[in-house]
Amino acid sequence: MTTGSSHRHAPLLLIAPAAILLFVFLVLPYLSIVVMSFRTPGQGSPYGEGYTLANYARFFGDSFYLGQIANTLMIGFICTLACLLLGFPVAWQLARGTSRLRGLAYGVVLSPLLVGIVIRSYGWTILLGNNGVINRSLMGLGLIDRPLGLMYNTLGIVIALTHVFLPFMILPIMSAIQGIDPSLESAARSLGASRATIIRRIILPLSMPGIQAGCILTFVLSLSAYVTPSLIGGSKVKTMAVSVVDALVDTFQWPFGSALALGLAVTGGVIVVLFSRFTRMTWKAN
Amino acid sequence: MSRIVFTVYCLIIYAFLLAPILVVVGASFNAGAFLTFPPQGLSFRWYGVFFNNEVFLRAIKTSLWVAAVSTVISGIIGTMAAIYFVQFAGRLKDGVRIAMMAPLLLPEVLTAIALLFFVYAIGIGTQTMFAMIVGHVLITLPFVFINVSTSLESYDPAWSMAARSLGAGAFTRFRRIMLPLIKPGVIGGCLFAFIISFDIFTISFMLKSVGTATLPIQLYDYLRTNFTPEAAAVSTLSVVLTLVVVVVTEKFLGLRIHRF
Amino acid sequence: MTEVSIEQLTKDYGTHRAVAGISVRIRDGEFISLLGPSGCGKTTTLKMIAGFEDVSSGAIRFDGRDVVNVPAERRDIGMVFQNYALFPHMTVAGNLAFGLEMRKVPKVQMQERIARVLDMVQLTSHADRYPRQLSGGQQQRVALARALVIEPKILLLDEPLANLDAKLREEMRVFIRDIQRRVGITTVYVTHDQAEAMTMSDRVVVMFGGRIAQCGSPSDIYEKPSSIEVAQFVGQVNLMTMVVEERLADDRVRLSGPLGEAVVPNPHALRKGERVTVALRPEAIDISVTGPGQSATVLSSHYSGSLMDYRLQLADGSRIDVQTFPRQRFAEGDSVHVHAPADRYWLLEDAE
Repeated sequence: MTTGSSHRHAPLLLIAPAAILLFVFLVLPYLSIVVMSFRTPGQGSPYGEGYTLANYARFFGDSFYLGQIANTLMIGFICTLACLLLGFPVAWQLARGTSRLRGLAYGVVLSPLLVGIVIRSYGWTILLGNNGVINRSLMGLGLIDRPLGLMYNTLGIVIALTHVFLPFMILPIMSAIQGIDPSLESAARSLGASRATIIRRIILPLSMPGIQAGCILTFVLSLSAYVTPSLIGGSKVKTMAVSVVDALVDTFQWPFGSALALGLAVTGGVIVVLFSRFTRMTWKAN
Repeated sequence: MSRIVFTVYCLIIYAFLLAPILVVVGASFNAGAFLTFPPQGLSFRWYGVFFNNEVFLRAIKTSLWVAAVSTVISGIIGTMAAIYFVQFAGRLKDGVRIAMMAPLLLPEVLTAIALLFFVYAIGIGTQTMFAMIVGHVLITLPFVFINVSTSLESYDPAWSMAARSLGAGAFTRFRRIMLPLIKPGVIGGCLFAFIISFDIFTISFMLKSVGTATLPIQLYDYLRTNFTPEAAAVSTLSVVLTLVVVVVTEKFLGLRIHRF
Repeated sequence: MTEVSIEQLTKDYGTHRAVAGISVRIRDGEFISLLGPSGCGKTTTLKMIAGFEDVSSGAIRFDGRDVVNVPAERRDIGMVFQNYALFPHMTVAGNLAFGLEMRKVPKVQMQERIARVLDMVQLTSHADRYPRQLSGGQQQRVALARALVIEPKILLLDEPLANLDAKLREEMRVFIRDIQRRVGITTVYVTHDQAEAMTMSDRVVVMFGGRIAQCGSPSDIYEKPSSIEVAQFVGQVNLMTMVVEERLADDRVRLSGPLGEAVVPNPHALRKGERVTVALRPEAIDISVTGPGQSATVLSSHYSGSLMDYRLQLADGSRIDVQTFPRQRFAEGDSVHVHAPADRYWLLEDAE
């Protein structure tokens, strides 16, 4: 029986390294954030002795941080919506297109993923700055007298983040649409449905899982984005993630930074859960 | 008519996707001292500056090293986990998938903070590269896992059984049968891992030790205070480096899924 | 060569008993089929013999040696899989060489053996092709060659013809049987196709619900099935109730029924007047215009090339199926006479 039983347990050795890695370096560290958020603030060290609720009290008591959370969430919503509106047509074209340029288009969609996020954000600073490509061009054409305020504000952050996360919206929707049997579209057409009706009544409902995944991914990523808001927003506009990192790295307020981070994570988590509940309901109702 | 509108709309979006990258590449050839538009003539001046800049060269080396090490680690761990997931997980399948994808679903900022606290709590700290590499392995692991799992889905378990019936032990079956057949997934996953690791910012930023800045961090630090086109030259080279890795991998190791 | 002996073999999946204590002795060089509907435990049994499934209890002996704890890779079996499972990244020769490499056969000898087996399956010219370049039937032959080239103790085949089209399937039956005879290897063949089991096997093991329903030669199974289930699984059958008329001297009984008289063995000491269920194959019934036999009406007729299938209604209202050669044809509504020889009936042991 020895061979039999050792055989049965051998597969566990395959998953053991990943399981240990994830437990030790993901589960335990996340628990340590929770613990840290209840630590007393330290004097001259990142955190002090003992535990307190003061960090959360400070967070909930400060309209500055609450406003910042609201602003971060708003940026997340707008980016998600913008990515959906820009991404769906491209996803559909990539999934159903027959053109020989499809491969190229796919490469273009993937290209931002191959180029580092710092570089992409940097590209946006070149484009959006007061002396940037867009303002200079518009002024050169005589369309405007003074540079438009495209950087160091929420608009700039939204534009850049939409770009950064667009592939994460396109790819899941594309694979969802690819999974839809094309004969369904032919069937709908044979029944007299117009192109718009086919998209609205067939493609949209059936690609809902992809849309859902894309929206969640985009939303979560834009809430926790650091580089892009930091470079585009500068010191004028800060998102929550930027504040969190500043509190931890620049001012060494570990307990308070943890409370901020958890506040952001919990809010984002609740929204994602509500969103997936809601979309799953409407999707099933269809 | 509506077809034309649709195509134009899509073209604009493709332009939007490419714009910042093209702008960076264009800016790197600017002859002027500052990032100005329109550029003051073309030159390779800033590439010259870059190649004499010890800081950036070291950052690139660090990035390559971190990416290589974490790719090897997540390549091995992720492939093993994917084999378990596809062939043995059974009822645990959903749980394993969620756990393996978790590092990707959790906000990177939060993971970075969590690791920062944890490495200090266990006394390792950020004096060594250990924390940073662990972070990179966590983030790259899902990419290996998902790629290898996908290629394993089209791997017929009967192949392993056939090899067994012919007398092949577990290791031989893996080396002679399974590995060659899932090779595109393994290589694709590792390539993804390498590129992702090369780009990871937040985790490197929070977990870096003195003198271990990776390229994205060095670039970010530089961009906060400088506006010369040197950053554009560095960025362009980094993009080219990524492309070279992709092309070389494709050429010599084969990425395409072979249709047998 | 090898004799395989299976004793009280059982396989449980949780509370589900897939194989319930079966025992079979497979003689050296014998071709035996495990026949049954899907889920009857035939494939599980095969996998236990191969070593791909753990055994819950019982023994599997190759020449008297229990192999239950021997891992599959050391059981020295040759196996042909339903989807062939040819290694797609290796040529035909590479596939054949694999098992020999595992056995560390010297290079020269290896080539010799591969050439011999390829010649046997008539694929010598295809040695350098990849599996994807072969037709289904060719892949099937490569799979057989790969299993045979290692000269295993026993050959196991898991529904190997299921993926082939009807004509090729019939050719391959003969082909496989032929090669098996030439090599003289002990063979276990799993199938749900009764015609396949009948034409190829020395003995057929019919399985239902994890148990052996009957084990015997193809003609035993067909002509003397032990139960209605077996009878129906291996072909069409008419069931009818008959009354015992008289006990005959040689331990047989004479019965009478709607189709006339029957004479069957009497193992249960039946008495005059008892009612019993008997079975009769459709092709055992003769059909004619004038008789002899009972009168009947044709309800429906189906032409299938070499055979005619009729459904008839007898005078007492009962219905029977009849199968004949289409030399003489009848149409719906025709009045005919049907007759069956008295010795073509058999008594069903599990009936009543």
